[in-house]
Amino acid sequence: MKKWILLSTVSSFLFSTLFGQQQDTLLGNGAITVFTATKTERVLSNIAVPVQIISQKNIQQAGSLRLSDILSEQTGLFMTNGFGTGVSMQGLNPDYTLILIDGEPLIGRTSGVLDLKRITVGNIKQIEIVRGPSSSLYGSEAMAGVINIITDKSRKNTLGISARYGTYNTADLSLKGSIRTNKINYQGFGNFYRTDGFSIRPNSRERSVAPIERFTQQHNLGYRLSERTNLSLNFRHNSETIKNNITVINNGNSINSIGVEKNEDLNVTLQLAHKLNEQVKNTTRLYGTQFHSSQELTSDNGVPYLDVFKQQFARIENQTDIHLNKQLEFNIGGGYIHETANSTRYDNSTSIKTNRIGYVYLQSEWKALNKLTFVGGARYDHNELFAAAFSPKLAAQYKLNKNISLKASIGRGFKAPDFRQLYLNFTNTAAGSYSVFGSVEAQKIINELNRIGQISSLEPSFYQLSNLQPEFSTGFNLGASYQNEQWLITANIFRNNIENLIDSRLVAYKTGGAQIFSYLNVKNAFTQGIETDIKYQYNQKWGLSAGYQFLLTGDQAEINAINEGKVFTRDQNGFSRKMSQSEYVGLPNRSKHMANIKLQYDHQQFFANARALYRSRWATTDTDGNGIFNTNDAFAKGYIQLNMAAGKSFTNGVAVQAGIDNLLNYTDVLNLPNLPGRTFYLSVSYNFLNKNPK
Amino acid sequence: MKQMILVLGIAVSVVACSKDDNSGTSAVVETITVRDVPADTIIGITPGAPPTGGFPYGAGRYTFYSLETNKIVPASDSASNKWDLAFKGTTIATNSGNSGPGGAGAFVFVGLFNDLKTIPADSSFRIDNAPSAFAITTGSNRGWYVYDGINQLVTPIPGRVLVVRTASGKYAKVEILNYYKGGTTPATTASDAIKLTTQRYYTFRYSFQPNGTKTF
Repeated sequence: MKKWILLSTVSSFLFSTLFGQQQDTLLGNGAITVFTATKTERVLSNIAVPVQIISQKNIQQAGSLRLSDILSEQTGLFMTNGFGTGVSMQGLNPDYTLILIDGEPLIGRTSGVLDLKRITVGNIKQIEIVRGPSSSLYGSEAMAGVINIITDKSRKNTLGISARYGTYNTADLSLKGSIRTNKINYQGFGNFYRTDGFSIRPNSRERSVAPIERFTQQHNLGYRLSERTNLSLNFRHNSETIKNNITVINNGNSINSIGVEKNEDLNVTLQLAHKLNEQVKNTTRLYGTQFHSSQELTSDNGVPYLDVFKQQFARIENQTDIHLNKQLEFNIGGGYIHETANSTRYDNSTSIKTNRIGYVYLQSEWKALNKLTFVGGARYDHNELFAAAFSPKLAAQYKLNKNISLKASIGRGFKAPDFRQLYLNFTNTAAGSYSVFGSVEAQKIINELNRIGQISSLEPSFYQLSNLQPEFSTGFNLGASYQNEQWLITANIFRNNIENLIDSRLVAYKTGGAQIFSYLNVKNAFTQGIETDIKYQYNQKWGLSAGYQFLLTGDQAEINAINEGKVFTRDQNGFSRKMSQSEYVGLPNRSKHMANIKLQYDHQQFFANARALYRSRWATTDTDGNGIFNTNDAFAKGYIQLNMAAGKSFTNGVAVQAGIDNLLNYTDVLNLPNLPGRTFYLSVSYNFLNKNPK
Repeated sequence: MKQMILVLGIAVSVVACSKDDNSGTSAVVETITVRDVPADTIIGITPGAPPTGGFPYGAGRYTFYSLETNKIVPASDSASNKWDLAFKGTTIATNSGNSGPGGAGAFVFVGLFNDLKTIPADSSFRIDNAPSAFAITTGSNRGWYVYDGINQLVTPIPGRVLVVRTASGKYAKVEILNYYKGGTTPATTASDAIKLTTQRYYTFRYSFQPNGTKTF
């Protein structure tokens, strides 16, 4: 008999049946199904592209509250600071990973970053991470990969509450319940999170993480129209309020400002799934989402400042799955997107910018041999605002025997220019009065400024301004896995060639010397490396897992310039010298080595774990002035973070958990402003129904 | 050793110099390193908050330098042929065009100081047309330096040589090594006060060919 620990962490509850499919992380692998990789339900071990699953149990036992907490503990992923907490996958910026909730994209990126702290993990059943370009199914943004958050769909009536309290008055409260009848099922979830924030900078009023309050609610209503037809309605609302005190010291006088930032997400999905027969299934999804953000800044002296951004996204999509026979399956889909945005940072806040996208996609899975499966697909996105994108993908899996499986895939991904890159019209009067204009606006505005004599010079980049093209990547993944009763070993070699990267460039100077920037498709880059994961289950109680990523990044143009002797740095005397290829470090903020190790004990409703994360040094600032990151520049130090947690559940429905994060108290004020020192937490949960943890 | 005397905003300094004889190369001219030439150092911050105030400012004066004599030239001689280069903040003027009466000129050469043994015959020397176009292009990442707006630091771009025709029509090559007092750029984490008070001090090395040829 299997005994399950009922524990509740952080913001969620664990009900015994939820883990029915995951009775053993290693042995039960075959039963875990994944949706994201192929946009259809698939058994994990049959997927031809690199996929990683994070189970609810893992999330809870790690004591995670927000999505970034649990993702930061996964091999090869690291969290970026600035404009919220973003995730970097396979060495690409957060802009290039698509984030989905139940298959639908989240919007509301700031400077390309989707703040993962907006997402609570309290009602997540599993997180699916697909690495490598996936635009063949998902379109824009799926260049590095896709992270899909699958929320809980309980199979029985449940009701539970959980509460957690920790350092910096960080509190998290969740209520979750579900009702099931023959025809109707309902899941409801509510979460409240608050923290005082913290400052790791001594004597500073300004907090690196500001005081935050967040409310999240999600409701899912399912209705079984018939044996073959299901209708579901999903509603999610998230609101957050961030308060910050900012002090600017100017000539000995300090100016205090109070900033209030409010962000609001709303997501609604209506889905109709109909099984025509055993071979054909049709799904229609209507999805609407809105993101609204406002930032208000009031200073001791000076006028209040208000910054507003609103984005709306509506989509209709239809997908037909045709199971022709045992060897062949087709998925055909198409959809239409209507997207709008308006902002005080555009030419005027009432002018609504619109983009419309029509798309079709096709995927085919062919079981050529008993051991060999091919998956091929392609998607065509027709955009109103910029060039169309065609994204093919081909993957193959070969099962050598019952233990060893080989995978290979090649795919193309793209990211469409966003509204900011097209329409931004922003002048920063606080810092040198520089301006940034989106590519649609830039030529128009600069020509007008030039006409009235306000431009002193046009830079070469000005003449290169044109319609922005989507950014493209080609990704190669080659992997192998070995699996037996105790071991699961996976390794994946990847290479991403990224073209057409959009970057800001100085295009003109105003007569007063102020700089004007705009966006151009100017750069290429590559990332390559190897990701490996090892899981070892020693016995029923003890388990060990470890992961490692080796990463190299760079820009071929920079490498060529170095090889041609056109790049210089300085020697110890400060004299210029040629820079050598071996000094090149590629893209900044990337660590060459990242590793994690986790030791886990799990027995008779008790668990304990210790998790260590390592990141080697990464380049932060070009201090030698050559514009290329190299070993003579400034680096953030490599570091180890150690987290521990333990929990116990009881037969009366109560579960408790305690944890320490960052036990070694590692901080880096400059480079890791979001990493607090050592923090503690305690959580308690109670299940009103299904008290016995099985 | 290094003494700075500031008189009425005109910097007159005794500049410490070191001479090395360029051993290992066949150069016939010596290379001189000049340290801490003040270039309109910061004397205050405009009152008020940005965008109208809060900016550091100097006295608005150039420091004139003679490569020929390796000395700072008093500002009273600014309308003479006695100076070759003049420094004010990140702007380097040449005794040419509307900057001075001399026959100077300059351009920025991309490459190594020691590799520039002969100025190519087809080189075109630019002359000053202040304030819009200096012979030595002003602005971040356009001439000799790059400005890091996040950390508010000025760094000379490595591999940039100022090729100078002096006021008297002879030739010199100059490599700017540093923009901060003592020849050391403050750490990115240094306080604003340190960054402000130590900036606008040039350290550079140069070779001057007194015989009028373009070979060093």
